Amino acid sequence: MDRREILADRPVEKGRGFMPGVSVNPGRILFTAGLTGRDAAGNLVAGGMAPQAHRTFERLQAILGRAGARFDDVVKQLVYVTDIDAYNAVGRAERAKFFAGTRSASTGLVVRRLADPAMLIEVELVVDLAGSPQSQLLEKFNAESHPGDFHQGVIVNGGRLLYLAGQVANNPDGSVAGVGDWRRQAEKVYENIGHVLRAAGGTPAGVVKETTWVLDIDAWRKDGAPVRRGFYNGDYPASTLVEIPGLARPEFLVEIEVIAAIA
Amino acid sequence: MPYSTIATPEAKPVANYKMATRMEGGRLLYISGQVAWDAGGNIVGKGDVGAQARQVFENLRGVLQAAGGDMQSLMKITTYITRIEHFPAVAEARGAVFQGELPASTLIVVKSLFHPDFLIEVEGVAAV
Repeated sequence: MDRREILADRPVEKGRGFMPGVSVNPGRILFTAGLTGRDAAGNLVAGGMAPQAHRTFERLQAILGRAGARFDDVVKQLVYVTDIDAYNAVGRAERAKFFAGTRSASTGLVVRRLADPAMLIEVELVVDLAGSPQSQLLEKFNAESHPGDFHQGVIVNGGRLLYLAGQVANNPDGSVAGVGDWRRQAEKVYENIGHVLRAAGGTPAGVVKETTWVLDIDAWRKDGAPVRRGFYNGDYPASTLVEIPGLARPEFLVEIEVIAAIA
Repeated sequence: MPYSTIATPEAKPVANYKMATRMEGGRLLYISGQVAWDAGGNIVGKGDVGAQARQVFENLRGVLQAAGGDMQSLMKITTYITRIEHFPAVAEARGAVFQGELPASTLIVVKSLFHPDFLIEVEGVAAV
């Protein structure tokens, strides 16, 4: 644990609650899933952005606590919102209550839809953990029970991190597989992920974090999610699912980014 | 470089970027999504995505250099744009700043960024 805040005093970020960059020794790193304002029963809390944002950070705090970390240890946060005006009006202040003076690297995006159409905010974190790496490469855990096919947190203990480019349904000759076909695209994307993982000495079980960008969450759930379940076979990473209006080519229905750990 | 590049004939990138990068040493650097702000917080290139992209990559370079690295230290970038029609101008700006192949890369069209004037945001992960 040896955090360095990069250009922490650059005037443009001052007062904005984040900083340009944070570097750490990658000894023990926690990746969280994208967390949202669901209550203990799995229902979205009522009342809009402020309660949702509060609940989101409360749940992230529980995950941090489970890993022995605090908001001070956050390296990077990614905030997805569907309503930027509501976030600026009341969401930002909720975040500040948890982060206090801590500033991490940060990205903020306005997306079309999150898992539930009424969801206004989702936040995921990368966290630098104290302590020596455990012998087990990955520790996958949930801070609360949930029915989803993901873990709320995955800790990487000293492995080599592997960053994949966003994977799409392209064939080696550059053509697109499964034009208009969600299931075929999902199959091709996971086939490509599998090839790249193998080339790097990794496996599906070594995937730490996954971000799934889709043009239509309902279509993905129906035809893509079963393919995903087959790929991970019960051994899920921390994950985030987001609906956006477009990808690099009009034929692409889904793009999946993966971070894995290699022993 | 404290990372290695992963390539396989079975799955190839759709453009000039690395399929994956594996960290082999050094420090892990997470860079905030960079937008077209100058040092004073003024938006550069309002309405001009090419000018914004050039400023964004300059800002990215500044963070990398302050952390002891350079553009070649980047393992992964994610480029968020608000209109797919802007992609050619972004690709041109990107091509000019990376010598040869891009890092592992993702391109996403989002509904918007955190200020309506921002047309592009790029975040990165580097080994420095």
